[in-house]
Amino acid sequence: MRSIDIHAHISPEGYIRAVEQGEEWYGISGMSHQFHLAVPRTMWTPEQRLTDMDSLGVDVHILSTNAVFYCYDGDANTVAAMDRECNDYVSQLTKDHPDRFAGLANLPMQDVAAAATELERAMTQLGMKGAMIDDSVNGKTYDEPEFYPLWEVAEQTGAVILVHQGMQTVVGDRSTRYHLPNTIGNLVERAITYSSFVFGGVMDKYPGLRVCLSHGGGYTCFGAGRMDRGWQVRSEARVNINKPPSTYLNRFWYDCLTHSEPALRMLIDSVGIDKVVFGTDWPFDMQIDWPVSWVLGLESLTQEEKEAILYKNLEDLLGV
Amino acid sequence: MRSIDIHAHVTPQSYLSAMKEGRVWHGVEPHPLDIEPQLEWTPEQRIKDMDSLGVDVQIASTGAQFYYYGRGGQEIAAMHRECNDEVHQMTIDHPERFKGLAQIPMQDVDLAIAELDRCVNQLGMVGAMIDDKVNGKTFDEPEFLPLWKAAEQMGAVFLIHQGGGTLVNPRTRKYHLPNTIGNLVDRAVTFASFVMGGVMDACPDLKICLAHGGGYACYGVGRMDRSWDVGRLPQIPQPPSAYLSRFYYDCLTHSESALRMLIDMAGIDRVVFGTDWPFDMQIDWPVSWVLSLESLTQEEKEAILWKNMENLLGISSE
Repeated sequence: MRSIDIHAHISPEGYIRAVEQGEEWYGISGMSHQFHLAVPRTMWTPEQRLTDMDSLGVDVHILSTNAVFYCYDGDANTVAAMDRECNDYVSQLTKDHPDRFAGLANLPMQDVAAAATELERAMTQLGMKGAMIDDSVNGKTYDEPEFYPLWEVAEQTGAVILVHQGMQTVVGDRSTRYHLPNTIGNLVERAITYSSFVFGGVMDKYPGLRVCLSHGGGYTCFGAGRMDRGWQVRSEARVNINKPPSTYLNRFWYDCLTHSEPALRMLIDSVGIDKVVFGTDWPFDMQIDWPVSWVLGLESLTQEEKEAILYKNLEDLLGV
Repeated sequence: MRSIDIHAHVTPQSYLSAMKEGRVWHGVEPHPLDIEPQLEWTPEQRIKDMDSLGVDVQIASTGAQFYYYGRGGQEIAAMHRECNDEVHQMTIDHPERFKGLAQIPMQDVDLAIAELDRCVNQLGMVGAMIDDKVNGKTFDEPEFLPLWKAAEQMGAVFLIHQGGGTLVNPRTRKYHLPNTIGNLVDRAVTFASFVMGGVMDACPDLKICLAHGGGYACYGVGRMDRSWDVGRLPQIPQPPSAYLSRFYYDCLTHSESALRMLIDMAGIDRVVFGTDWPFDMQIDWPVSWVLSLESLTQEEKEAILWKNMENLLGISSE
């Protein structure tokens, strides 16, 4: 059984080389060094990665540069240059190993015009499949009109936008204990992002926009009923859309990273089996262990559903 | 079919009178009232609406706008005593139709314990409704432990219900998301704080009911379990999902599939009837809604509508 993983991260070789030599790399923070030291696999070579993928039974990684490299609060020109290097690196890997790697770009979202330019370059010159972006940009959600030019380029080039939180989530305001900024935070961020795209009218304005919500879309599908109720009784929820928010569930893609079979089953039943794709969060501790085996072992899924998740849906979405 | 609603709010008449007469009320300056008309109803008008909805009993809680945890403890303790005396009077005047949940001044744990004790042991109330946090503190803070211990001894039930802003507010205030997403994520953080903070282990008989179906707690527990699996939660002996059946949850999910999942994960004996009367985010015709759910058995509907609440409160209509 083939498998294509849309949620697999990589750190740029240039960064790793710089750190090893004690050099600065686009002024990137010390926090990112701790992040890499904590997970040695973030510094593996492509060949080591391929050996691990073989062991896991994963055929293709859709590579995304780690979220620690978003740097949306950094100087836009510096970060745009860094992102170009990130994307050139990933692109080169996809050329060296076309059967094993495809790529998602990193974008300087603090400058939407530059982000749109880099996405266009990634799609038309580098052969990438889209981009991975945070849930928010310096406090702004994706219903802000300033992001329209990016969605326009994404729609025109057929780019897939994988949404994945950065280093902080809204839960940190309440509690930083027990890994909750990750275990609850990632999931609520994704629900807010779904809502921003939907309630903000972005999905209506860009009918061809293809957004994949990582971590199974977080709490989105489970909480859609309350969003619908809000839409029914509150005029501010109806400003941009004239049908309930749950009707947009099947406009998005979702990875299968739920760490829960009943949650994955509910996701499939809520959004449609054609919208759920394989994603593992390689190489972090919150990844799915033995992810192909996990999917294949799920008793509440049919064989057809497992195949759709493991590779068919991503073949259709990305043309790989 | 009987029905007992644990999620139904009251606004104190003493507050309404003070505002209308332009008087300060426990430090609350007079201000124009902008509230749901039902909140100005008398208990008798409320009972007529309950009759129309088929709701037999409301476990009435003074609305979350009266938490006032950010103000002085003594002043708010006095406010809460007045709130609680009013709710108590409703339960005396209409013992078949009302029970009460207290307001307690959480900014001062000693005062909160004293008021909970008065309400449960002298006024016959069933417990208290509290926010998800107190001035930025979550309920795993050791300073709250004496309250949980006291509640355990009294057999008091805590209904957890957000007040003021939620975790969503700092990100966005649009589209009613601070409520529609915020209430649900706040409840998940509260579940996690009680569980991962060791409170549920320290207080095995503590009775906590998480409003809004416990929010995202049950759906998202797999990811919490993963962090236990990888050694990030060494302080608790079991994965977080093992604690789901230690809590109660109201049925306020606005989704049949979500309610079904809640029942399947927490256990049917843990889900109780709660409507959020009289707000716009309530369940419309809530008894009819529960009765019409095709994925629930008749026994499950009865458990939710009244049996579980009778068991929880140690009362029996049979």
